[in-house]
Order: sequence, then C-alpha cells, then structure tokens
Amino acid sequence: MNTIAEHIADFLKEYPPFDNLTFQELSEISANIRVINLEKHKTLFQINDVLHDCFYVVASGAVTLSVISDAEETLLNKCHAGDVFGLRPFFAKNNYMMTAKAREESIVYGIPIATFRPFVANNPKVLNFLLESFASNTWNPKDKENFRGKLASDNFFYADQKNEMQYFQSLAYNRSPLIVKVTDHAKEVALRMTENLSTSAVICENYLPVGIVTTTDMCSKIATGLFPITNTVDSIMSAPVVTVAENVSLAEAQLLMLKNNVSHLCVTQDGTDKSAVKGVISEHDLIVAQASNPGVLIKEIKRSQNPKELRQIRERLAELIQNSINKNIPLSHINNIASEINSAILKRAVELSILELGSPPARFAWLSIGSQGRKEQLLITDQDSILVFEDVLPDKYRDIRDYFLKLGKKTTLTLEKTGYELCPNGHMGSNMLWCKSLTDWTKQYDSWMNTPGENSNDLSSIFFDLDLVFGEKKIFETLENVIFKNIENNTLFFDFLGNDALRKNAPLTFFKKFVVEEEEPNKDKFDIKTRALMPLIDGARLFALHFNIRGLNNTYLRFKQLAIIDPKNADIYLNCAEAFLILSRFRVNEGLKNDNSGQYINLDELTKLDKEKLKNAFIPMKDLEELIKSNFKLTQFS
Amino acid sequence: MLDWLKNINKDYPDFWKTYLSKFEEKPNRFVVFSTETSGLNPIKDVILSIGSFAIVNNSIHIGDSFEAVLLQYIYLHDNGLSNEFIVESKMRKLSEPDAMQAFVDYIGNAVLIGHHIDFDVEMINASLERLGCGRLKNEALDIDVMYRKLKDINDKQFSLDELSDIFKLPKTYRNTPSEDAYTIALLFLKLKSRLGIK
Repeated sequence: MNTIAEHIADFLKEYPPFDNLTFQELSEISANIRVINLEKHKTLFQINDVLHDCFYVVASGAVTLSVISDAEETLLNKCHAGDVFGLRPFFAKNNYMMTAKAREESIVYGIPIATFRPFVANNPKVLNFLLESFASNTWNPKDKENFRGKLASDNFFYADQKNEMQYFQSLAYNRSPLIVKVTDHAKEVALRMTENLSTSAVICENYLPVGIVTTTDMCSKIATGLFPITNTVDSIMSAPVVTVAENVSLAEAQLLMLKNNVSHLCVTQDGTDKSAVKGVISEHDLIVAQASNPGVLIKEIKRSQNPKELRQIRERLAELIQNSINKNIPLSHINNIASEINSAILKRAVELSILELGSPPARFAWLSIGSQGRKEQLLITDQDSILVFEDVLPDKYRDIRDYFLKLGKKTTLTLEKTGYELCPNGHMGSNMLWCKSLTDWTKQYDSWMNTPGENSNDLSSIFFDLDLVFGEKKIFETLENVIFKNIENNTLFFDFLGNDALRKNAPLTFFKKFVVEEEEPNKDKFDIKTRALMPLIDGARLFALHFNIRGLNNTYLRFKQLAIIDPKNADIYLNCAEAFLILSRFRVNEGLKNDNSGQYINLDELTKLDKEKLKNAFIPMKDLEELIKSNFKLTQFS
Repeated sequence: MLDWLKNINKDYPDFWKTYLSKFEEKPNRFVVFSTETSGLNPIKDVILSIGSFAIVNNSIHIGDSFEAVLLQYIYLHDNGLSNEFIVESKMRKLSEPDAMQAFVDYIGNAVLIGHHIDFDVEMINASLERLGCGRLKNEALDIDVMYRKLKDINDKQFSLDELSDIFKLPKTYRNTPSEDAYTIALLFLKLKSRLGIK
C-alpha cells in the first residue's frame, strides 16, 4: 500500500495508453515510477545520448522535443501534462534521435521499460498505441492533428531542406509574347504563330488580354473542322485568360496550371487581366526551369565527361545562386546547395583523372581545405586541396607518390579549366609538399601544432578546415584525430591561432571610415575578405577547435553550434553568425556583379544605407576579438 | 563527562549495530520523511505515522518508500483516545519498536530531508532511546532552511503550505505524512537544483 503510487495511478488513468489498463495494474506501474524535476531549459536527454531505461510522462509543466539540423534547432513537438515521450528504448537500440528539454519548470514521471513491458505484451491496445506513435512522423501536419495531446513521436525523418529551393526558384519565360487583335482571322494567327515558333498567341483589346489561343485550340477547333479557318480568332480563343504577376515562382506557376487545367499562363503587370501583358509562361518553361534545379545539376555532374561540361554546369550554378539571391532565399540555404554541387564537381574532377590514369595503387583521400573545406564557396575562388595516401613499403614509395602527383596535377588542371583558379600559394594536391603519405602528414600536423611559430612559414590556418572530397574516409578520420589529439592542453597552439586571428587589419579607421586599399589595381576599394570575413572565419575556427566541434566546418554553422555549446557567450556568437551572413552577401553580390571572387568592394557603388549596414556588421567582430583575448593567453607570439 | 565511555560498551540491539556499520560508506541517496505526531513535545508525545521516499540521482523513487501507522495503544489508552481510525485504515500497521527498527533499516546512511526536520529527528530519537539505541547519525537537511538560504531571508519561517505556494505545487491531498513527504521531496529537488547541490 503506497499512497503516492495511487495518486499517480489516478493521474495516469486519464491519459492514453494508460486508460487501457486497470487501476490495479497502474498502481503496480506507479510503484516503480521515478519522479524527476526539470528546471526551466534543463535537458532531459539529447540527440545521440545513450537510451535511458525508462520512458517519460509529463506530470506538470511542458517539455519540448526538437532536432538539431545544420546547427539550427527545429521544434518538433511540445508535450503537456499527460503526454508520453521518449519511447525510443521500447523499439530501437540506437541512441536518441531528438532532444527533450523543459520549456518551463516541469515534473516528469520516468516509467522503467522493464516494468511496463509485460503490460504492453499483454495488452494489444497499448502496444498499438505505442507503435503507432513511434512510426508516425510528427512533422506531417495530418499526423500532428491525429496525435495532438496524445503522444509525441520519436521516430523522425528530417525533411530535406533542399527541396524547398525549387519552390523559390524564379522562372524564365517568353517576355515578348505574340499579341494579336480580336478581329484577326484564325489562319493569320496560325501563320504568325508558326513564324514566331510560338505555341500560343495572346488576344488583346486596348492592350488588355481578353483571351489566348494555343496550338491545342488550333488543333481541336480548326483542324477538326468545328470552326472554319476564316473565322475571327475570338471564336476559338480560351477566355478569360489565367493571369499571374511578374516574378512568379516555379511552384506557384505549376499550381495555377493544375488548378485551372491550362497549359499557358499570361503574365501581366499587376497580375490581373486589367493591366498590360508582359509575357507568357508555357508548360515547357516549367520543364526548362526544373532543369537547373540542384538535383538535376548534380546528376549531370556525375555524367559529365570532360572539364568543358563541368564548366557549363558551374556556370549554371552561378545562375542558380544569382537567382536565389534575388529571391531573398536565406544565404545559409544557398550555401548548402552550392557546397553540395561544388563538392560534386570536385569529386567528379578526381574521378575523371582516375579514369584517365587507371586505378590508384594505394588507398588515398583527396581533401579540400580553406574555403572549399569550409563549404563556403559561393563564387568561383581559387582551389585549395591536399592529398593523403596510405603508408606503403619504402621500395614502392617513389612510384606511388609519382602516381598521386600525376593524379593531383590532372585534377587541378581539370578544375582550372572548370573555372577554379590555381591557388597562388600552391596549396594543392599537385604540389610535392602537400601530396604525402599518412605518416608524413601526421608528422606535419604534429610539428605544426606542437611547435607553432618555429617553422611556420608554410603553416596556414586553412589547413584546419578539412573536408573529404574523394577517397578513404578512414584516412580523413585519422588525420582529424591527429588534430584533435594535439589540441588537448595545447595552449601554445591556441596562442598562435589567436594571434593569427587578431593580426588581421581593422576594417574601420579611427574616424569610423572604411580602410581602403592604397595601391592599384584595387585602389580605393574595400577588401572585405581580409578585413571583415577572415577575422570571423578565424575566430570561428579557433573556438570550434577549442570546443572540439567536429564535422562542422562552415563558419555560420560553427557560430550557431558555439552558441549552443557555450551559452554564456551565445549572444556574441549569434551576432557573429548574422554578421558573417551579411558580409558574405555583400561579397557575393559584388562577385556576381563583376564576375570575380568579390574580394574588393567598390564603395562608390554602395548606397548610404548599404554602407551603414556594412559598418554595423563590423560591430560583433569587436566582441569576438575581446572574447578571444579573454579566453586565450596571447602572450608568446604577440 | 565520561558518559561517552560508558556508551562504548553498551549493548545495542542488533539492528542498531547494523545501522551504525552502514556509516562506513558515503551516502548515495537522500531519504525524505515526515511524521505525524500527537503533539509537539518529544518526550510526552508519540509518533502516530511515518511517510518517506528515497531520492537517487535526482529522481524520486516511488517504489523505494516507507509508510507505516504506529500502533500507540498505551498512549491512546492513557489519553482516552479512540483507535478506530487506525484500525479502519488500509495502511501498514506496526508497533513502535517494529516501526523504528524497519525505519532505521530503511534509511540506512542516507541524508535525511524534511520540513522542520529537527523536530522529526527529535521525535525519532526519543523513540529510539526507549528502545535502548543511540541517536540518529544521519546528516539532515531542512527545506525551509534551504529556501531561506536561497532567498537570503533570516527573520521568517515558511510552512510547507507556503513553500508549495511559492513553487506552484498543487496542494490537493496533503493530509498524510506520505503526501507531505512527497511534496517535500519535490520541493527538495527544486531547491537542490537552484542551490546547485551535487
């Protein structure tokens, strides 16, 4: 007899799946319950935590379930009193797939799986309920409806963000449509359509669209003999026309065509048929638009046979980026897609070289470093890469290294033809220095990190932004481990990196004016890369290494992740992440305008507002600098 | 002055020796308890019932509990009170010596938690003395003191009801020591995380 167990049983019996059990059974379960108090914002379990031996029922308060993807927290569900969550241990052996956090001060009951399992086995209704909830995906709004107030699912598939891109994609369409008068004869219109290779003609009265004639109309109404060919066009036209505004997105156009069951849309100035015609969108335009969607591009990269084809694809990517930026798609988003495509191109370039040279004599890994390694390459910039091959017998070493040097040369040449300039500092896999065996690389990193400053002539911090492009994952991981092992208690190295990060020149003068270049060819332009972006990139790298963040190379994501790991300074990190995006946008715009890397901003072309925006983006850099100074002793190299 | 010397050779009941031996290890659990007494005088009054729960790893283990109604025939008889209520109740009924032995076994070396716990401990000690045992050796924490420490208040005491109000706990049942103990346990968990006690 346990008074409190009975009170808990009283509480549970109100909620599914417990309402299927008898009071006696519930008291038995309750006697084994553990009651946990969660302070506000306290995490009960998080992604990749080892499974607990119990699942949870909210007794009071509210618990939020979320996933972290791309370092952004996405809320899945909110559990209130009586809601069951954390069912994963029932059905799966691997670690938690979501994070449970108290939104307010909450009390939860932990019900041990071992206690509850017999009741599940004996009671099909309970089992069904649990299974159903586990299998359902809560991001699906319909399911959410079904399960509201009952259960929160644990099995979660994160919808691929890339699909969204397609919806925002803008549409290229015929901007000089064929316009005919109401009084024109059908034959005349047909002749003009053939002449213009157009599948439609818009019929206008006083410059306003009143109807549209398409090849389908010609076919079904004239060719069948329903209407004589001498009739005026208004007898066969489809009216009224379906009109849309300029700047319609792919998804919207698709939707309108389906909804109205038409094959052509008329674009007018304000989107109604009471304004001037601007163009016509045909089904074919939609198909063409889909061709430059990211998925198609990647498929094409995989099939391409030579640098020329790769170059074309890279150019289409630039177009895609330009379009997306005009459409105000978040830069972090565009970044994701561009980096996917970039790495597909790099990968294909290596593959092409292997196809030519024959299969490699040893396992190897082609790693991107620098901006490619950070996956921040929106514009075509120079290529940075290293090549690591596995350790081989000394007598074969020479031959094998020769092969990989050749491979490196071929690949970098292919990439150069694709449009990625060679690295001016020679940081490429084709360079003897950066094409080495795993042992040599391990030694290289050991000496860089343990005695920085001594032989630092060739040390560049970009070597710590690594990303695997092609080859053995194991080799890449080994190298990563070497880095993280050397970081432990290595104040000297952080000191070095910290100084390196702070050495970059300030973006503003004492009088809050932009510091501009003094010499040609970029006289009076602002160097946004070294003066504004690099400090942020270096800072993010420094802290990411300090907090042992693996697998996130992107500066934006690093800051986001840092805000989660180091909540004390979350504000600074988030501001930096924002600033980084703003600065990147400036750079990308400049780059697209001039078809270069966008390193130098022409200040004269900026509006006053933009200049202020740019200046404001420098503010978080100051905080970051202070944070670096207070976190690392920067004495030995300054 | 040499009282403690006499005590060295004093022959304690077996359960008390076992209890003392448990203190060779460090405590790894908390026991929240609350008593219902006939009055406020530790010598004249007696314990009528005890309720308690264990807290391990920041969670209250409902199963790890101790509840008992003490059959105080002598006291009831002396004061001309009826024992009808006790006989009717479904709770576990024990005589005072049995209850004390079971309770001492239950708490072991745990850190005791209560509301104005010095009084509860004093009541237990008085009862133990009647059995020829020593005083409880457990460390004890008082949630009222904890709260006052948290808020830095020195001139005021808080009743259990007031504390429940402050922490917005529902006060629905709360008439038996078990329910009191449960409420105290929740308050303790909240105070514990706020004070940062490990």
